[in-house]
Amino acid sequence: METESRPGTSKEPVAVQPTAADRSVMAGAGAIGSVTVKLHPLVIMNISDHWTRLRAQEGKPKPVFGALIGKQTGRIMEIMNSFELQYTEENGVITINTTYYYTKEEQFKQVFKDLDFLGWYGSGGPPTESDVQIHQQICTFTESPIFLKLNPQAPSTDLPLSVYESVIDVADGTAVTRLVALSYTLATEEAERIGVDHVARVSNVSSATESLASEHLNSQHSSIVMLHHRIKLLLEYINAVKEDKLPRDHEILRLIHALCHRLPVLGSHQLKEDLHDQYNDVMLMTYLGVMSKGSQTMNQFISKFNVLYDRQSAARRLRGLFM
Amino acid sequence: MPGICADKDATFCVRNRVLPFVTVLSKVISGWSPEKYCFGKMSSEAQTSGDGNVVGEAAGPSSSLLASEDSQVVEESLEMSEDVSSIPLRNWELENMIESVNSSDDIYKYDQKAQQDMLAAKPWTKDPHYFKYVKVSALALLKMVMHARSGGNLEVMGLMLGKIDGENMLVMDVFALPVEGTETRVNAQAAAYEYMAAYIDSAKHVGRLENAIGWYHSHPGYGCWLSGIDVSTQLLNQQFQEPFLAIVIDPTRTISAGKVNIGAFRTYPKGYKPPDDTSGEYQTIPLNKIEDFGVHCKQYYALEISYFKSALDKRLLESLWNKYWVSTLSSSSLLTNADYMTGQIVDLSEKLENAETQLNRIGSMYSFDAHDKKSEDKLSKATKDSKKLTIEGIHGLMSQVIKDQLFNKINLREIHEQNH
Repeated sequence: METESRPGTSKEPVAVQPTAADRSVMAGAGAIGSVTVKLHPLVIMNISDHWTRLRAQEGKPKPVFGALIGKQTGRIMEIMNSFELQYTEENGVITINTTYYYTKEEQFKQVFKDLDFLGWYGSGGPPTESDVQIHQQICTFTESPIFLKLNPQAPSTDLPLSVYESVIDVADGTAVTRLVALSYTLATEEAERIGVDHVARVSNVSSATESLASEHLNSQHSSIVMLHHRIKLLLEYINAVKEDKLPRDHEILRLIHALCHRLPVLGSHQLKEDLHDQYNDVMLMTYLGVMSKGSQTMNQFISKFNVLYDRQSAARRLRGLFM
Repeated sequence: MPGICADKDATFCVRNRVLPFVTVLSKVISGWSPEKYCFGKMSSEAQTSGDGNVVGEAAGPSSSLLASEDSQVVEESLEMSEDVSSIPLRNWELENMIESVNSSDDIYKYDQKAQQDMLAAKPWTKDPHYFKYVKVSALALLKMVMHARSGGNLEVMGLMLGKIDGENMLVMDVFALPVEGTETRVNAQAAAYEYMAAYIDSAKHVGRLENAIGWYHSHPGYGCWLSGIDVSTQLLNQQFQEPFLAIVIDPTRTISAGKVNIGAFRTYPKGYKPPDDTSGEYQTIPLNKIEDFGVHCKQYYALEISYFKSALDKRLLESLWNKYWVSTLSSSSLLTNADYMTGQIVDLSEKLENAETQLNRIGSMYSFDAHDKKSEDKLSKATKDSKKLTIEGIHGLMSQVIKDQLFNKINLREIHEQNH
């Protein structure tokens, strides 16, 4: 759970620093979110598609809004899907079309029976006053919705997403809704990962020229390179601290320490045995494959041989049969 | 030819000794249960993929650390990291031959007039093989995969929205339909017409202007092809809702093979003889379905699928990789797919047995070449299946070995140093 209790770390991107004018929107720096959010990449693609096609049709970028659906168990919210919402804009005040929402809710309840409405999303930069207004409208659909903001035009290379929830703050004697940033993780379902991978690096021409093994190894290699790079970074940090080039950050050091201590857990005896078992099983499967391949080759060879060299005896026997 | 006993003895040997052994071996393997690996359920906290996820967890806090940017070291070495991290990124997108749509993302524009013109012209009525290519958007693919996967072992189906562009059919979006039993009745879509109409209508309000261009459904575990029911459904569709496309997706094989298992098909009208035998990639089909496949496989043809994504999609996918590499490394296909693999081995053993009995039958008569060809076909097909299975198994094992090398060998060095 260490990942969740640190809203101060930038799981959020650079774009989220609130400007002086919006400071009233974000709650104080000490506020910690009450839920943790797991986000599926499908939602991100949904929002991106919505924004892209609206931009293609209207000719210029327009803000998009939509609803998030998923499952919530206790303090963990898993956002699995999303759909678009209709809105009307008058004098800069954005109102969400509630009838549209109710029709869509009915529809998705038919197909995704166990998903609930969890929150809403919007596009643009750091959160603004109008976002808070919309958030209050959404509060009528469900209690404590979360708010996801995607910035399609952010310059940074990191994921330009931020997730917020609202708290009621008392400011100047009146209750004001403020936003608290939440940290989120990416949910990793196996099929989704393969889909995302495939889409990101797929080619028109089927990779018949490349062996399957090298493809598989390539992806493993890329992840290992990332791992290596990140660990190198950590090592440099520790060295720098040792040489007093950087100030000590005890929290980071504690995390690194915990990480190193987790490793020996993986060397347990039981695990080794099971690993060997699994290895043997796969080897047995390979044996099967190789044996059947061998027997098939043999069979083909023998048949061909028979055709070539047995013709005389076969013909003699045939003549014996028919005469 | 001296030295080689080319007569029936060798044939006899292969057919009566080796082949039964192989069959028995396959039966032994198929008798395993997936629970035999204790680390499959070792730590319930570490969830499904046993040691794979423990790795993931160990990497979890580190990834927050590794992804954190408030350390000054990170900022200092950020320039350096950009170069290093762009290499695997480029590797990752090495074969990116999709048209990454240019900045105006024209493909997302829906031109009402142009579409209506194309629909009025109806060029597909003259040529049953008119549509040759399908372009699927990144979003559509992901949605289909997720929906198919969520169905588990049940078939699911949905509708696709899109448009046509010459010989291309473009699939922009998909949505799921609340129907069940797509493999037991023709036109299961009939039950969902109301839902379809309501959905398409409400979609038009938020900028989704495309119309239905096809339907998709899943074949969990048994490959991408059209069954008899599917062919009848598609024939109906192509009569009344042209242009229409059928897509089949197999979520189980997707996970097992590590690549998306998907196929796009259009049926030939009744009575049409296809010009040549454009047989596609060979697929392993379980025995209980192979008859259904064989009867209908000549009634439809496959279209070539390619994918496209917008500029924003591309950027987001790149950023996703920064977080996703952890799961690529920690995924364990052997464990996630143990059931499916066992099923495949059972199927393989039955196929081998069939091949064996056929060979034995033929072997006892004086064989002619024609007969030999048929029995060889059975054996060679079974061999192809076993090759595919073996390759998938080996890939899974490779990941395990890599993980073992990376994470489990730490102690050895420590102990080594302690002893010396």
